[in-house]
Amino acid sequence: MDYTFDFHAIGQNMGPLIDGLVMTIQLTIAANLVGVTLGFVIALLALSRWAAVRTPVMLFVEFFRCTPAIVQIIWIFYCVPILFDVYFDSLTMGVIALGLNLAAFNAEAYRAAIQTVPREQLDAGIALGLSPIQRIAYIVLPVAVRASVPVLITNGIGSFQQSALVALVGVQDLMYAGKFLATETYRPIETFTVIALIYLAVSFPVSQLVEYLERRRGAASH
Amino acid sequence: MTTSATLQLGNTMKSVASPLADTTRSAALPLVKVAGLHKSYGPQIQVLKGLDIEMKPGERLVVIGPSGGGKSTLLRVMMGLEEIDKGAISFDGKPYISARGDGRKTQIDTAVRREIGMVFQHYTLFPHLNILENLILAPCKVRGESRKDASERAEGLLARFGLGAKARAYPSQLSGGQKQRVAIARALMLDPKLMLFDEVTSALDPELVAEVEQVIMQLAGQNMPMMIVTHDMWFARNIASRVVFCAGGVVVEDGPPEQVLGAPVQERTREFIDRVFHIRQ
Amino acid sequence: MTIDFGIVLGFKAALLQGLLMTLKLTLVCVLLGCVLGFVVSLARGSRNWLVRGVSRGYVEFFRGTPVIVQLFWIFFCLPLVLGVELSNFTSAVIALTLYMGAITSETFRASLKSVGREQLDACIALGLPRWTQITSVILPQAVIRAVPTLLSNCVSLFKESALVSAVGMADLMFIGQNISNNTARPIEVLTIVAVIYFVIAFPLTRAVSHVERRVLAKLAA
Repeated sequence: MDYTFDFHAIGQNMGPLIDGLVMTIQLTIAANLVGVTLGFVIALLALSRWAAVRTPVMLFVEFFRCTPAIVQIIWIFYCVPILFDVYFDSLTMGVIALGLNLAAFNAEAYRAAIQTVPREQLDAGIALGLSPIQRIAYIVLPVAVRASVPVLITNGIGSFQQSALVALVGVQDLMYAGKFLATETYRPIETFTVIALIYLAVSFPVSQLVEYLERRRGAASH
Repeated sequence: MTTSATLQLGNTMKSVASPLADTTRSAALPLVKVAGLHKSYGPQIQVLKGLDIEMKPGERLVVIGPSGGGKSTLLRVMMGLEEIDKGAISFDGKPYISARGDGRKTQIDTAVRREIGMVFQHYTLFPHLNILENLILAPCKVRGESRKDASERAEGLLARFGLGAKARAYPSQLSGGQKQRVAIARALMLDPKLMLFDEVTSALDPELVAEVEQVIMQLAGQNMPMMIVTHDMWFARNIASRVVFCAGGVVVEDGPPEQVLGAPVQERTREFIDRVFHIRQ
Repeated sequence: MTIDFGIVLGFKAALLQGLLMTLKLTLVCVLLGCVLGFVVSLARGSRNWLVRGVSRGYVEFFRGTPVIVQLFWIFFCLPLVLGVELSNFTSAVIALTLYMGAITSETFRASLKSVGREQLDACIALGLPRWTQITSVILPQAVIRAVPTLLSNCVSLFKESALVSAVGMADLMFIGQNISNNTARPIEVLTIVAVIYFVIAFPLTRAVSHVERRVLAKLAA
């Protein structure tokens, strides 16, 4: 290998990289706000008694889970403005695309968690004379929300990584800054390595936190 | 069907030999000699605190006592599944297990270990293998027996235990009682000189307990030496040639079943027996 | 404007070609990735700290960075590092295999761990030699347990493979985008592309839950 490494160019261009990282984090936070709240609503609708509510909601969830995120993002960027005759800035579009995707995955997490609440707990609720709404509010939700936290965080990091895709439609995030720098400085190896390490530096501690939470839960359930 | 396992199980359901028969052998060498066994999990929890037991050939030793008193741990140590802190065990006159202290690994003679069989509370059948494969895995891999010979022995054993039709079934298709009988058959495939039963009926529905206990009684009828941990005092009385009451990590009382279960000498034993039978009635 | 899905029909040969590339890429990387993942999962349990550390670093790196960044790195940097030209297909296979290997090693690791302590106790009580314990008892159960998650990893990889369009490989997504740009019919073309991905991935995700139930029922002994 006759490539000489030179991280100097990167050091001089930390400004754009940091701007990009800030954009990536903003995207991630906004997408997670959408994903956590909308996902919860979707999960409740998906458990509805009426098929007319359940079916379209399930279809939405499955569609987002079973198609590539890049397809969703490009579809939303190109088709939403034409279909609905609305124009948003690229950051808003990015948040919509990532948020809807995350909401579908989070809805699954909530649904799975709700279904882990054992039948006997609900029976106990009935035996104690709680109304259906009280049973949901006091028995199902507290257990389900706690059970879904690790998956929500995992999905959250997923959306952080997935946010790199919006660079392909022109959102000036970390990945975008990296691509730009790589061509600008002719230093692709250094640039993309640093970019990867920045993503890793954010993802890794969070995934360790999830593992810790899961270990603690495992220990507690024995 | 002239293979060893079927011979061993030859005549069914002899009545269980009386404890008297065993006293005539008392001059013989002990089959098991457990001396000064210490075992703890971490610095806080001491499970065995200097436990001594001797077992003569042909004896059926039932170990009873409160939870956490060290009964199951004793059996797991006997099987070589646990490290020990202090003490030694010899089997059939040979040194078998000894502690080396200083946090070094417990020394276990694996050749001796192969002469002991064990059945666990939760069956522990291999779920990915069918019943026949569960039985022949060890004979084929440990003793290099041919698949054909091992299968023949296994089928004979299964037939004797009323499981002839289940040879090709998988564990998940069996009831708890059937699984436990398979587990016993699996252990017998290696012609053990001592069988350990660790609460083998505790996980079973009440109506399935009898079929498993009957199989063990059948083995008792053929003078198979065994060490049994159980909470079932009726079973204990029926099968034991000797009963040991274990509490606080030591042997509190040791004697014939009529004594330990009927008229215990030690205060602690009496309390335990009273409580157990009170709950029963 | 009127929406007319009929126009997509005119491009069905091109889309089919793209789909075949997507499927070929997925299949190759699934197979290679499973082998790699299995080896890495064993390396993670190695007694040698160096082997353990390197394999862990690999897994954390590929799970902790966006696949698109990995893909860019392999496409633009690996040829420079190695000093050889790599075909697009080779680069894509390397990138997606490394990704698949990382997530699959976690699958195998979890399934190895899920084989309970009692199974090992039973092995010891039966006097099984170490090698038999591993090959006849632990590994078969671990592999059976891993199957549902492996299937869902395949679905993930199938979806992630669409990223290769960003580096100019002519897969389903790339061809779809080209047609969409040339015809200025993004709604029809991109929707059909999404539906094609869905039609393949959805039955697979259904299969995952079905297989999962069967595996759990079988191993509940």
